[in-house]
Amino acid sequence: MIELKGVSKTVTSGGEPLTILHPLDLSVPSGQFLSIIGPSGSGKTTLLGLIAGLDTPSTGDVIIDGVKITSLDEDRLAQLRSSKIGFVFQFFHLIPSLSAFENVMVPLEIAGSPRPADKAAQLLSEVGLTDRGHHYPSQLSGGEQQRVAIARALANDPPILLADEPTGNLDSKNGQLVVELLMQVHTSRNTTVVMVTHDAEVAARSEVLLTMRDGRTDVSVPSAFPRGAEEEKAVER
Amino acid sequence: MSFVVRMLLRELRSSWRRLIFFFLCVAVGVGGIVALRSVIQNVRVALMAEARTLTAGDVYLRTDQSWTDDIRAIVDERLREIPGIGRTETVDTTTMVRVPGEGRVRTKVVELRGVQPQFPFYGRFELGSGERYSYELLQDRGALVGPELLTQLGLQVGERIAVGDIEFTIRDVIVSEPGRQLGGFSFGPRVLVAFGAVEETGLLTFASRANRQLLLRVPDEAGVDPLVERLEEDLREAFVRVGSYRRTESRIERNLGRTENYLSLLGFVVVILGGLGVWSVTRVFVQQRLRTVAVLRCLGATTARVIAIYVLQVAALGLGGSLLGVGVAQVALWSVPASLTDQAVTAAGLGTLSMALTGSAVLQGVAVGVLVSLLFAVVPLLDIRHAKPLLLLRQGAASERRGVDWLQSGVVAVVGVALVLVAGWQASSLEVGLYAVGGFAVVAAVLHLIGRALTLAIQPLQTSTWFPLRHAVLNLTRPGNQTRVILLSVGLGSFFIIGVQVLQSNLLSNFALELRDDSPDMFLIDIQEDQVAGLRATLERRTETTPQLLPVLRARVTGVEGKTVQINNVGEARRARLGREYTVTYRSRLEENERIVAGEFWSEEPASVPEVSIEEGLQTERGLSVGDLVRFDVLGRPIEARVTSVRAVDWNDSRSGGFMFVFRPGALEGAPHSYVAFMKGPADRVARARLQRDIAAEYANVSVIDGLEVIRTVRRVLDYVTMTISVVGGIALFSGTLILIGAVAMTKFQRLYESAILKTLGANTRLLTTMLALEYGVLGALAGAVGSVGALGLSWVLTRQVFEVAWFASPLTSAGGMLLTALVVGVVGVVSSIDVLRQKPLATLRAE
Repeated sequence: MIELKGVSKTVTSGGEPLTILHPLDLSVPSGQFLSIIGPSGSGKTTLLGLIAGLDTPSTGDVIIDGVKITSLDEDRLAQLRSSKIGFVFQFFHLIPSLSAFENVMVPLEIAGSPRPADKAAQLLSEVGLTDRGHHYPSQLSGGEQQRVAIARALANDPPILLADEPTGNLDSKNGQLVVELLMQVHTSRNTTVVMVTHDAEVAARSEVLLTMRDGRTDVSVPSAFPRGAEEEKAVER
Repeated sequence: MSFVVRMLLRELRSSWRRLIFFFLCVAVGVGGIVALRSVIQNVRVALMAEARTLTAGDVYLRTDQSWTDDIRAIVDERLREIPGIGRTETVDTTTMVRVPGEGRVRTKVVELRGVQPQFPFYGRFELGSGERYSYELLQDRGALVGPELLTQLGLQVGERIAVGDIEFTIRDVIVSEPGRQLGGFSFGPRVLVAFGAVEETGLLTFASRANRQLLLRVPDEAGVDPLVERLEEDLREAFVRVGSYRRTESRIERNLGRTENYLSLLGFVVVILGGLGVWSVTRVFVQQRLRTVAVLRCLGATTARVIAIYVLQVAALGLGGSLLGVGVAQVALWSVPASLTDQAVTAAGLGTLSMALTGSAVLQGVAVGVLVSLLFAVVPLLDIRHAKPLLLLRQGAASERRGVDWLQSGVVAVVGVALVLVAGWQASSLEVGLYAVGGFAVVAAVLHLIGRALTLAIQPLQTSTWFPLRHAVLNLTRPGNQTRVILLSVGLGSFFIIGVQVLQSNLLSNFALELRDDSPDMFLIDIQEDQVAGLRATLERRTETTPQLLPVLRARVTGVEGKTVQINNVGEARRARLGREYTVTYRSRLEENERIVAGEFWSEEPASVPEVSIEEGLQTERGLSVGDLVRFDVLGRPIEARVTSVRAVDWNDSRSGGFMFVFRPGALEGAPHSYVAFMKGPADRVARARLQRDIAAEYANVSVIDGLEVIRTVRRVLDYVTMTISVVGGIALFSGTLILIGAVAMTKFQRLYESAILKTLGANTRLLTTMLALEYGVLGALAGAVGSVGALGLSWVLTRQVFEVAWFASPLTSAGGMLLTALVVGVVGVVSSIDVLRQKPLATLRAE
């Protein structure tokens, strides 16, 4: 469960205060797939950074599973991320000096997981890259790198997955693959997914849509969302 | 912890190539420390094994006067208390030998030693023939000589040499002998004869220079120290030095220890240079790793764990570099040619010398290498704390930094203190460590400031219309530039090298100055009163110049009643640093190189008491002044003289000699004294040799010292010193170059991207090469200029303050050094960027 209470972000730009996120209350229940959509500079990434505790809000609180993360220090935040949050970035951000397999192992090792190698192998097979494990990021295509990044994000079975324009750097076919993968994770693991995108088609597949413009938000349910079981789940909440 | 260790191993796998210079910087410095320390420790072990051989007895008493009956009585009485004590005497003097016979013009200054049958108590002679030494070889006017005498005089064993009126048969050659002091200055080869024969040569006149030694063998080793103490007490007022092999041992120990520590400090300086390299490499490395760090943080790793990964990495590389340094040291010692070691071993009179590394040297070297690596890496590593995971969402988010970073400042302070401690440990003195690190910091700060000023001075070039030059200068000031680091490291390296060169040319021009056409180059010493007239006539006839013959006496200060100084006996004089034997003279007028700074050089009125004029240094450094009463012992005769004037002597102009004490004529004529002569000898070699031979034949007790030979010796010594400093400077420059290559290599990734963009915008390889060459050429010229300016300062301080000789600017050396540095840096810069130039732009841009 992600809760934002009166969260805003103001920065100083050229000596003038500039509000990039106006005060916002938001609640994302466990297991929801939320997309944040909007043009460049509308505050999407800022909002995601605040949810992840990568940035501190100017006002308000971010609460994750009942923990007020705005009052945590850097190391506590790191622990929280390790156990509760998985990340997928637009530019993948794999560690270039490590192989795909090792990249997936790192979060498991950080968390002190008992058998990191087995888990990493299983995750790689889930994203369909079993035979590419020993390759370095520079030897993988963009789509493959992003799938490794998703495997890495899922390593510690986090209840929340944050994705920052995961398809922004991929061609449409690979983008499609990655979105499918995220949807699959969401349904099979009941993971809460918050995804920033500026692709309306991708956003239309989420349960809830947060549209941003000039730091202001508007929440809606996308019309293109496939009806059926998923719809009922959304309505129940 | 397993995560940290695993990440460490993975990081090492990928980063060792980038950090190879880090590795090498540490290795060079550690190699220096380990090699220097090992050699000196080995020498020490070898010397300690032979301490008694060096003195040839347990206890020695030495004097440069005759043993008086009083002294003999005191010593005899003391020795009577110890049954079974052995005693033997030696006498040493510097004299001329010649080859007897008609028409032979060969002469040579030698060190003549007369020994009694029991000599030596310890150690043994090694003779050229391989035979055992026995005193019988010296009986019936036999002599053993140093091998160089035979070659210099063209003689063979069995032939004869003449000393004074006596001829000796050469019975064998001395390869090594006991009782010869290590590193002592020698006027010439050794000639060993029987004790009694020295007396017979007639050389030992009252005023001639001879050193007499009484060696004792103490049956009970525990008795050595008490005996030395008692004899010292007994002979407190006499001019006798008492010592034992134990003192020699501890003195050698001290001297070698000091040498070891100072040399290791030089090694430490190189390690510090390496440390600078470590610092610069780490800084760029951290910048390149910021994204990886951000990812790790994003995945939940705490700052402490991430820093631990990199600190361990530095420690591992420091250890690796140190071990490589140990290997380098071992290879360096192995590659010292055996002939050189043998020479050194023989010269030092040692048996064997191991060239292996010693355990303690290795341990110290490795410890210093790892410590310095960590100390220099920890400050840039702290930047890891600023790698916020937000960087992954937004470029540049990590560079926001506000206010003073207290942790970093604190760590810098701790690192400074730690460096002082490490330097202090290396020099075995906290004070020296403080000076070394402080001096280094000052030099670095000065170089840094000069570098800054020069960088500002080239700013106008940024508006140059020539594209490559404009961009080259802009690159020097762009964010994340390596300008400061390269200026500092290469600047320090060139500072050492150019400094040494400037110093060398300065010292050489000073010696050239002293060899002016009118400078005397032949010195005659120990001329007796009754020989003056005859010798003067001979010299005038043979050299067609008027030689200066000065009366000289040897005197010691035994007391002072002065305004600021009170000295009552010999012991106090020693403590007041007036204990040495002074050569004094008397004359009525000032010499050309003298002027009076206080008092009057012999007033009109006749003197009521003996009067003396002192050299300025005795006033400024020993506290004597006009009006003080000084008591002298002139070869046993007490003389009390009043100081009536203070002279400044221009020691650079030594044509007229220089004396610390000059007496007013009248007081000393009755005292035993001899004369010395300065003159310009014949330029022709044969005429020169003939003159020396004739003087030796006619005036056996007179020694001729050939100034040309002395100057040659001094030059040789100077060459060794220059070479040693050049080696150290070379190592420093080598590390500087390594750091340079490292710095260039580290910025390569940034460069790759830039040159790819420039290439797509139409720049060709030639333009890019010109830009690079200019950038590094300008940087090199700046570093060279920094080094040259620093070197001028260094050479000024050393020539004026330490050597106390005239200082010359040597513009050619400075300009040449600067240009060479520019060239080297330019070439290294371009060569290490070759792959940047050859990379296809698309590949680079796609990777970004």
